[in-house]
Amino acid sequence: MTVNPIPVIAGEALAKTFRLRHRAVPAVRGISLAVRAGEALGIVGESGCGKTTTARLLLRLEEPGAGRIRFLGEDITDRHGMALLHFRSRAQLVFQNPFDALNPRFTIRRSLTEPLRNFGIPREEHEARIDAVMRRVRLLPAVAWLDRRPHELSGGQLQRVVLARALLPGPRLIVADEPVSMLDVSVRAGILNLLRSARDELGLAAIYISHDLALIRYVCEHTAVMYLGRIVEQGQTAALISAPLHPYTKALIAAVPVPRVAQDRAALPILGSLGEAAEAEAGCAFRARCPFAMPRCAAETPELREAAPGRHVACHLVHDA
Amino acid sequence: MTLLSVRDLHVHYLTSRGTVRAVDGADLDVPAGSIVGLVGESGCGKSTFGRALMGVLPSTARIAGGSIVFEGRDLVPLSERERRPLRWRRMAFVPQTAMNALDPVQRLRAQMLEVLCERGTLSQANALARAETLLRMVGLDPRVMHDYPHQFSGGMRQRASIALALALDPALVIADEPVTALDVIVQRQVLDVLRDLQRRLNLAMILVTHDMAVVAYACDRVAVMYAGQVVESGPVAAVLEAPFHPYTMGLSHAFPDLRDDAAVLVPIDGAPPSLLTPPPGCRFAERCPFAEPACRARPPPPVKVAPDHFAACWRTAAAVELRARAMQAETWTP
Repeated sequence: MTVNPIPVIAGEALAKTFRLRHRAVPAVRGISLAVRAGEALGIVGESGCGKTTTARLLLRLEEPGAGRIRFLGEDITDRHGMALLHFRSRAQLVFQNPFDALNPRFTIRRSLTEPLRNFGIPREEHEARIDAVMRRVRLLPAVAWLDRRPHELSGGQLQRVVLARALLPGPRLIVADEPVSMLDVSVRAGILNLLRSARDELGLAAIYISHDLALIRYVCEHTAVMYLGRIVEQGQTAALISAPLHPYTKALIAAVPVPRVAQDRAALPILGSLGEAAEAEAGCAFRARCPFAMPRCAAETPELREAAPGRHVACHLVHDA
Repeated sequence: MTLLSVRDLHVHYLTSRGTVRAVDGADLDVPAGSIVGLVGESGCGKSTFGRALMGVLPSTARIAGGSIVFEGRDLVPLSERERRPLRWRRMAFVPQTAMNALDPVQRLRAQMLEVLCERGTLSQANALARAETLLRMVGLDPRVMHDYPHQFSGGMRQRASIALALALDPALVIADEPVTALDVIVQRQVLDVLRDLQRRLNLAMILVTHDMAVVAYACDRVAVMYAGQVVESGPVAAVLEAPFHPYTMGLSHAFPDLRDDAAVLVPIDGAPPSLLTPPPGCRFAERCPFAEPACRARPPPPVKVAPDHFAACWRTAAAVELRARAMQAETWTP
C-alpha cells in the first residue's frame, strides 16, 4: 500500500475539561496526534489518564474544549448532527464489553441491518455487505449465526459480531477501546488477529486504547503513553518498550508481569498512585510520583519534544541530559 | 506440611435447566506458607471452588461430594455453626471488588475495630494498636482509618480489604481476582504486598485469577482449572516451562508477552463444554489438537508426571513431542 501523506484522523492541541459541581477535571490537556491509513496507534495509560476521552474527542462523541479535529484533511471540529453522518459511517468504535454492545432482543441480522439503514445504504446491498463482514470475522456460514440472539453466543463470538458491525459501513478509521479486556485469554488472540488483518487488508487507520502494553505491542507500530491528560512519551512501540525514556514509561513497563518464571522483582521506581490534575497547574504532572523530580519540574511544564529519531518525550531530565 | 487438601470436590448449582456441575472432581493441595494460583477462564469453576472452600456458596449451590481437609479436619460435613468459628480466624476471604468487603457508610476504623473486638477478643485499646499494625503491614498510613472507603483509591481499597482479612491472623487467605480491577502499577504494588505478607507471616494463600502472568509473578504453585476440573498442577516454574496438559500448552501462546517480539498469537479454537451436560471423556478433547479416540471415551485421571507435578491427560507420555508441536501455530489452526 502506498503511504498516503494525509492522515485519516488528526487531533491538534485537543483539550477537554469536565466541569463538576465543585471542581473541574481537566481530562485532556493539549494532545496532538495523527494516524494514517494502514497505521495503528496505541494509547496506553492508567485509568483516569484521559485515554478514553481522547478517543471520544477524535470520534466527535465529546465536544472539545479546545483544539481541532481533521478527518482526511477536512476540519470537522465544528460540524454537528446530520453534517457528521458521513464521518460517523467512516469512523467506527469497537466497544469494550461485547455483552452489552448488542441489543439482547435483536437477532444478529437486525443488529447488523440497523446501521446500514441508518447510513442510507440501499436495501439490495445489505445482504452482500453482511455476508462479506461475517466472512471477514470468520463467523461462517453466516446463515448459521444471523438468526441467533446475543445470549446464544460466547464472548468471543459476540465481539466478532461487534467488529463486523463496525466494519459494515466501510470505515476508514477504527477505534477500539480495550477490545479484548472482557474476553477470556484463550480467545483474545483470535480477536486481535482479526483486528490486525482488517487493518492490513482494508488499509484502515486504527487507534487502540488499552492499559495493557503487551497487547498494544502486538497490534500497534506506534504508541503514545498518556499521563494525566498529556502524552508523556511517544514513538515506535518496540523501541519504546525496550528503551523507555520517560520515568513514567519506565515504571509502567517494569510493572507489567510476564508469563515467564525468571522475573525481575526489583522494586518499582515509582511512588503512590495516579493523582488528579489541577486545571491551571504548572509543572510536570508526574513529579509527585517521580523519583528524579527536580525543582524545575514544579516550575515548568515539560514539552513533548523529539529526544531521539522518531521518539518524543516530555521530561526535563531527558532533554537536559 | 499440607495446610489444605481438597480431594474430588463436586459443587453443583441447581437451576431450572438442570444441574450445573461447576466443580466436578477437583483436587488441590496448599502447603503451609505458600501462594497457590488457581487459574482458569471464566466459567471454569474457579470462583465457585474458592467460595466452597470458604463455605460461602450461594443458596442455589451445594457441595455434592469430596473432602476439604483443612488443618487436619474435613470441613465438608461441618454445619454452618461449626464452620463459623473458622471463618476469618483460620481462613479469610479477599473479594475481587474491595468495595464488597468494605462498608460504605462506616469509617475504616469502625470496621476494623468491629472485626478485632467482636470477632476477635481484643480490648478497644489493643484493637486500635493492632489495626494500626495491620494497615502499616499492607503499606497504608494508619491515618486512613478515619476516612470512608469511597475516599480511597482502588489500590488503597484493596490494601484495606487485605488488612481486614488478616485481622484475626488466619492461616489461609483466599483472594478472588484481587488485582484484576487495578491498574498495572497498582496491581504490581498489591502483589508485592501479598508476597511480603506471605514471607513475614508464613501465610498460605489461594490466588484465584485468570491471568497466567500474575501467577508467574506472585505464586509458588499453580493449579490450572478447565471445565470444573484441575487439569494440571505443580510448581509454577515446572508448569510454565514444561507443561504436560495441552490446555496449559495452548494458553502460553494465546496472549502477548511484553518482552517477546510478537510472534503470531494463536487462540485455542472453540469454547469449553457446557457444565450441564459435560462430555464423558476428557473435557478439553473437543478443542485439543492432540485428541485421540480414547480421549473422548473416558475421563483422564490426574497422574504424577514429575515430582509434585500432576496432569490429567491420557497423552502425558508423549508430552515432549506434543510440547514441540504446540509451539507451532498450525497445530492450533482448525
